[in-house]
Amino acid sequence: MAEAHDLKVIGTRPVRPDGVEKVTGRANFGADLYLPGMIHGKVLRSPYAHARIKSVDVSGALAMEGVLAAVSRSDFPEETDDLGQNVIARDKVLYHGHAVAAVAASTPLLAEQALDAIKVDYDVLEPVLSIDQAIADGATLVNEQMHTNGDASQPASNIAAITKFERGDAEKGFAEADVVVEGEFRVPMAHQGYIEPHACTATINEEGKITVWCSTQGHFDVRTQTAAILGTSISKIKVIASEIGGGFGGKLSVYLEPLAVKLSELSNRPVRMVMNREEVFRATGPTSATWCKAKVGAKKDGTITAATAWLSYEAGAFPGAPVGPGCMSVLAPYDLENFSIEGLDVLVNKPKVAAYRAPGAPQAMHAMECVIDDLARELGMDPIDLRLKNAADEGTQAPYGPKFPAIGLKACLEAAKAHPNYTAPVPEGCGRGVACGFWFNIGMQSSAEVLIREDGTVIINEGSPDIGGSRASMCLMAAETLGIPYDRINAHVADTESTGYCNMTGGSRTTFATGMAVVQACEDIIAQCKERAAMTWDIDADQVDWDDGQAVPKPGVNADVDPLSLADIAKTWGRTGGPILGRASVNAQGAGAGFSVNWTDLAVDRETGKVDVKAYTAIQDAGRAIHPAYVEGQMQGGAAQGLGWALNEEYIYDDNGVMENAGFLDYRVPVASDLPMIDTQIVEVPNPTHPYGVRGVGETPITAPLAATSNAVRDALGFRVSELPMSPPRLLEAIDSQEG
Amino acid sequence: MYRFNYHKPDGMDAAQQLMADAEDGVYLSGGMTLIPTLKARLASPTDVIDLSGLALSGIELADDSLTIGALTLHSEVAAGNEISSLSNLALAIGDAQVRNRGTIGGSIANSDPGADYPAAVMALGATINTTAGAIDADDFFQGLFETALEPGAIVTSVTFPVPGRAAYEKFPNPASRYAVVGVMVAETNGDIRVGVTGAGPCAYRQRNFEQALADNFSVAALDGLEVDYAEFNSDIHASAEYRGHLVGVMARRAVAQIT
Repeated sequence: MAEAHDLKVIGTRPVRPDGVEKVTGRANFGADLYLPGMIHGKVLRSPYAHARIKSVDVSGALAMEGVLAAVSRSDFPEETDDLGQNVIARDKVLYHGHAVAAVAASTPLLAEQALDAIKVDYDVLEPVLSIDQAIADGATLVNEQMHTNGDASQPASNIAAITKFERGDAEKGFAEADVVVEGEFRVPMAHQGYIEPHACTATINEEGKITVWCSTQGHFDVRTQTAAILGTSISKIKVIASEIGGGFGGKLSVYLEPLAVKLSELSNRPVRMVMNREEVFRATGPTSATWCKAKVGAKKDGTITAATAWLSYEAGAFPGAPVGPGCMSVLAPYDLENFSIEGLDVLVNKPKVAAYRAPGAPQAMHAMECVIDDLARELGMDPIDLRLKNAADEGTQAPYGPKFPAIGLKACLEAAKAHPNYTAPVPEGCGRGVACGFWFNIGMQSSAEVLIREDGTVIINEGSPDIGGSRASMCLMAAETLGIPYDRINAHVADTESTGYCNMTGGSRTTFATGMAVVQACEDIIAQCKERAAMTWDIDADQVDWDDGQAVPKPGVNADVDPLSLADIAKTWGRTGGPILGRASVNAQGAGAGFSVNWTDLAVDRETGKVDVKAYTAIQDAGRAIHPAYVEGQMQGGAAQGLGWALNEEYIYDDNGVMENAGFLDYRVPVASDLPMIDTQIVEVPNPTHPYGVRGVGETPITAPLAATSNAVRDALGFRVSELPMSPPRLLEAIDSQEG
Repeated sequence: MYRFNYHKPDGMDAAQQLMADAEDGVYLSGGMTLIPTLKARLASPTDVIDLSGLALSGIELADDSLTIGALTLHSEVAAGNEISSLSNLALAIGDAQVRNRGTIGGSIANSDPGADYPAAVMALGATINTTAGAIDADDFFQGLFETALEPGAIVTSVTFPVPGRAAYEKFPNPASRYAVVGVMVAETNGDIRVGVTGAGPCAYRQRNFEQALADNFSVAALDGLEVDYAEFNSDIHASAEYRGHLVGVMARRAVAQIT
């Protein structure tokens, strides 16, 4: 692996290639495609959180002039999976806002009016709206066929699955402890907060070839999911990923695309569908509300002897809460002999949850990092010293199995201890809270093609939608590998028929795995260039070096020639074998785990309950920061989202399961004026499996802020508030009840 | 948004005639409440009468009073220094975009319980000048989105007596910046008034606070005073009880600013 001091381009901070188009409004997002003859689709959504559908009749809509198509469950294959049933309800509607039918009409307004002409007959059922309700004896069942872990010998249950991780003997470990602390915590449903609503345009031609243009984090997944829901072949579908206005995990599943294709098929017109903000809130995936219990025991010197966690997650209407990743993450920062972790995936009548940045980890780590903080307090230890004493390191077996290779947790903790924001005393009237963050990161499959233009400039085609500046990172890694300037390279997110297969942008995998493919494709280019140079010079290819963007004869090779740049080689490629293109594909293993340490200083107004965040510092191991400004941006963005979730954000439902704050005026994300400067420090412990040492950096940043904020409020108030969000009325109530 | 007829009259009489002729008309000033309401389809007027063509903008200082034209933007009031508490209030409304579109006349005529200006209208004892005559602050706000404005009448300006001392404190909604509760305390020619917005269906005076402050203008004078929150607003952002509590806190903070 290249040493940091050898790098020329990686680690610099050039302007992002997509920046100007975005800030000038020229970039084309999901709703920006106009096709000749295009019409507009709208979705009829359930007014009930739980009801049996007796009948759906779309004939009234179809009778309206200007309405060109209408679809309901009967237009889709009966045999379908959860995703299909989420896209269009079958026997039951399972949450308020669940899609029941859709129409396409000549104008969006007409389409909306046509929805009123669709008749749906419902048999309304009792909704299940919380974990407590769902797991209570005699609870109404969201899905009468659901048995825990598929065990049909047991009665049907709202608990879809129970996950367990265990090592050693937790009870024995607690018995050996001098101090045992525990707590119970609740974290609300939260929205990813992407600005661009879901949107797509679909068209189908006379030969049955479907083209979908949409805002997505994974256009290959849109192809797979859409084909499955429509009961067609992926070979019939081409998906083009538009520019994306934020995703954070929320744009990994289809909602509109299969409906738009079906409407296009029936109307023989291109169909555009765009959600409004309310639909985004009511009917797309937020992250799970959770109820978690954590317990930890330690010796007087701080050595943790045992820990347990019970993590229950709302899945929404279908199984699949991110409780598995929660279980993987909850104790990952610690080297433990004895622990047990249990996770529950619980159905409720709310939208099917989707990924949200490190899905499942923030909620679980909030519980454990709060308890660890309480332990430090009980022991009279500095919270960073306690973590250092128990920190996972190279060779530690992760709670979920494998041994960690080189990781940066200790380096982050040491950096935090030495940081001027930590050595500075806590400001008067403030509390300070510390927490660790973790995300395992993933690799998976990526492809890249590197094309050389006839002037020697370079095009990268790859399949990872760019949600965090990845095109710039690809260009930086290619520039470093090829030895040419950054501005001679363009990266392009190619459609599903213009580049090799690629998994979605998620799991913080893109810069790691797609980056690895890009680097290998550049190495392929270099190998070919050496051959072309050897041919030109009439020497063997193994007598050629690639040095600083040029082919040169190896030292000692008797060739009195000038070096050949990419442009030189391109100029004469007609004589050496034709155009040059490189390619590589990977199923990347060894995504290095990402760790972080965050702390915040904040004040609580004891008269109003309002929290004023005065300072926030995030330290994270990036492996190696390809574009440091984007790594810092990820850290700051994660902190902002985490602070919002900790202090203000929540889905509020009424007793009928209707969301009461389905808009950004009532769902309260923090804005710039709510936040202090978020200071960042990047630690670099290179990941040995990536050619430049990259670890994923996108998700770890949101895993520490909830607990750091909770711990700071604990420090400021002198007692713990265990339910998020710590909104002003809730904190004031807690303060009043403490003061009697 | 539903379909409606749009008009932009260039005179006061024309505007009122359009309103009289409309089946279900509304006046549009800055549109900071009306436009989102229309977009959310919570209102479906037949006619929207845009007042922005009327010459109702500007700030005029007389000997002991300030008259602000109804179409004057929040940002223009914020930039003034004639009544600093009023400028501070205007500066805390919404965000820069709202302050550059929203008007004082619109804010007051709408009587939104979360609007800021009504607290100042009550605390400073303002006079609301309308095409159908002047209305005292104490008579103007009558309920949730209800005022004493005659049907079809237009607010033309608001006249604020310049106070001896005054201060505004608000607890903003974290998303919209609307006042969950806002309190202005003012002393004008020896007369003490406490105007409250956000808490109840419309702005009102907290009379027991006024009496206590008249006897002893100090933060301590407000200690232990009751706020009857039985009729206060209760929503997902704050309960009536929490709002009642905030009235006391914001009033004490306002008093602290000017003692």
